Amino acid sequence: MMLSIKNLHANIEGKEILKGINLEVNAGEVHAIMGPNGSGKSSLASVLAGRENYEVTEGEVWLDGKNLLDMKPEERAREGVFLAFQYPVEIPGVSNINFLKTALSEIRTHRNLPQLSAKEFLKMTREKQELVEFEAKLANRSLNQGFSGGEKKRNEVFQLAMLEPKLSILDETDSGLDIDALRIVSSGINKLRSTENAFVLITHYQRLLEYIVPDFVHVLYNGQIVKSGNKDLALELEEKGYDWLKEEFHGNAALNGQ
Amino acid sequence: MDNKMKKLSKSPLYQQLVDAYNQRNSDGNATQEREQAFTAFVEKGFPSNRDEDWKFTNLAPFLADEYSFDLQQPAAAVLENAVQHARIPGLESYVLVLVNGKINGSLSILPDASCFKLKQLSEVSDLNYFNTYKSEHVGAGNRMLALNTALFNEGYLLEVPDSVIWDKPLHIIQFFAGEQNLFIQNRNVLVMGRFAGLEVIESVISLQNGHKLFVNNVTQVRVAEQASLIQYQIQHNQAEDRLVNFLEVVQEKISRYDHFSFNLPGAELIRNNLEIVLNGSATETHLMGLYLVGDHQLTDNHTAIHHLFPNCDSNEIYKGVLLGKGKAVFNGKVFVERPAQKTNAFQQNNNLLLSDKAQVFAKPQLEIFADDVKCSHGCTVGQFDPESLFYLRSRGIGEDSARKLLVEAFMFDVTQRITNEPVKEYVQSLIYEKMENSFADTNTSVYG
Repeated sequence: MMLSIKNLHANIEGKEILKGINLEVNAGEVHAIMGPNGSGKSSLASVLAGRENYEVTEGEVWLDGKNLLDMKPEERAREGVFLAFQYPVEIPGVSNINFLKTALSEIRTHRNLPQLSAKEFLKMTREKQELVEFEAKLANRSLNQGFSGGEKKRNEVFQLAMLEPKLSILDETDSGLDIDALRIVSSGINKLRSTENAFVLITHYQRLLEYIVPDFVHVLYNGQIVKSGNKDLALELEEKGYDWLKEEFHGNAALNGQ
Repeated sequence: MDNKMKKLSKSPLYQQLVDAYNQRNSDGNATQEREQAFTAFVEKGFPSNRDEDWKFTNLAPFLADEYSFDLQQPAAAVLENAVQHARIPGLESYVLVLVNGKINGSLSILPDASCFKLKQLSEVSDLNYFNTYKSEHVGAGNRMLALNTALFNEGYLLEVPDSVIWDKPLHIIQFFAGEQNLFIQNRNVLVMGRFAGLEVIESVISLQNGHKLFVNNVTQVRVAEQASLIQYQIQHNQAEDRLVNFLEVVQEKISRYDHFSFNLPGAELIRNNLEIVLNGSATETHLMGLYLVGDHQLTDNHTAIHHLFPNCDSNEIYKGVLLGKGKAVFNGKVFVERPAQKTNAFQQNNNLLLSDKAQVFAKPQLEIFADDVKCSHGCTVGQFDPESLFYLRSRGIGEDSARKLLVEAFMFDVTQRITNEPVKEYVQSLIYEKMENSFADTNTSVYG
């Protein structure tokens, strides 16, 4: 078991957003998390990455036997958690290259890997850019500055390729991408899939899952996973929407006297 | 004597200064300039918070200490050691060493004699000095300047002759040493001849061994037609140091002047007045400032640029990082007079507060009387963007490194303009060192 989430509850500004999430992810798997707006999908991604304005009130999260919730965001990243941001920030004055170098160096130190020479680093940058078909010029440019929405998303996938995480959480990486960009991003992610790593894809659309075929699809509603299935569940949702699941959920809740 | 006068005369330093002037001019031969300046000081005393230009910088606590005017010559070994310590690693430069305003020839390293003229200011008669270097245009009403004018005695007069371009920068290291708390007022003059070129780095260092040092310094710079001067002012001082600095620069046509002011912890008080007079057309001026202000520090930068002729460009960027209970003042005046058409004047002041106890008082002040000009100013006060910090940390970058990256990014507009690499590295390393110490002190209280 790579990731194990048990009965996870979390608040933001005193309001409960996650209300008992249970999820298990093994190495080599791709999980898709779908669900209507406001169901808690991005909150789950934020809590896993360690965003500080979320307060975990109950439950546990384990990554390869280590307690993730005890770790700072940077420690989680070094242990192998990667969050591809829904809205990557622009940081004027921080160069793309310096940023990547610093990140890679701190991660490699943590993983007891030798530091890369300047030459090795540049070679790796070039190779990974090719792998994920990210042509944007990085040298002498500030982090994400002047990038289009699509380029920012593709830069996230490029960073993912550079940092080689165990568990990648992609928070609506497909939103705002045109068809061509979606195909390129998906193909990049498919190339990065291995038996050693796992992906959690948060998405609104079945379209992404045509390119990256998930092993499991989960539906998040009202802070809980209300239904899990295989890739066919995504197709069913595409066809029927979420209303039938909401009704089912509220019906069960009524039965259970909640 | 009205009430104000009574209050002023209670300050022992005020009386000491009045006595010093009277003693100095017992023969009654003082020049008109000295007399006028002295009268201005006697009548109004030290600046106070009632003066618009000193509203946020209260000198009173710094003037309340007992000061002496008695100088001391440090031992040769002490000086030699101090010079070594003051040099900038990796910087190939000439060196001009001054001790209490007196040129120390044996510790200085200067180029061929044809490249410069150097004098002690005390060797120049008052009459001669005031006739040549009048400062009537600016600073009227600045009583610290008036006080200096009344009483200055020593300093350097450096002239770079026409068409001489120095092959290496000049590092001017000024040492101050007294028997006890020292109050000293020097005046320096730097003259760039036509087509001349020079890069100067200035350091002021106290050898006061824990005694307080109050420097009320005035420097006059003249940049002749087509000349170019780059001036780096590095203020990296001790807590006991109080630095009041008045720098007047007059630029003639097609000249270029670049000023970099680096105010680092920890002098208790830094007040820099920078007055730039653009006395000809087609000049270029860059004023760049970085102030890092720590606990128990007050750093005040007052700048004024006077556009008097057409087609001049001025560009000013001051960036401040405030830590602990640091307090900073920025006042940037730009005057564009009626004849100064086609002026480009740009000003920017940004402040990054890394503590909720730090304070910034920022005031851009543009007065434009010409109609065909491009002028802009921007002023911000902010904190670290939490989203940027989280983004960096989510990539495995530790909190301290992430903060360092963001501060580096914040200062980038200024640091990218430092063309002298060793100076750039030196200043950046000092900034990071000071910041790390401060983070170590405040980690729990400010960020916890």
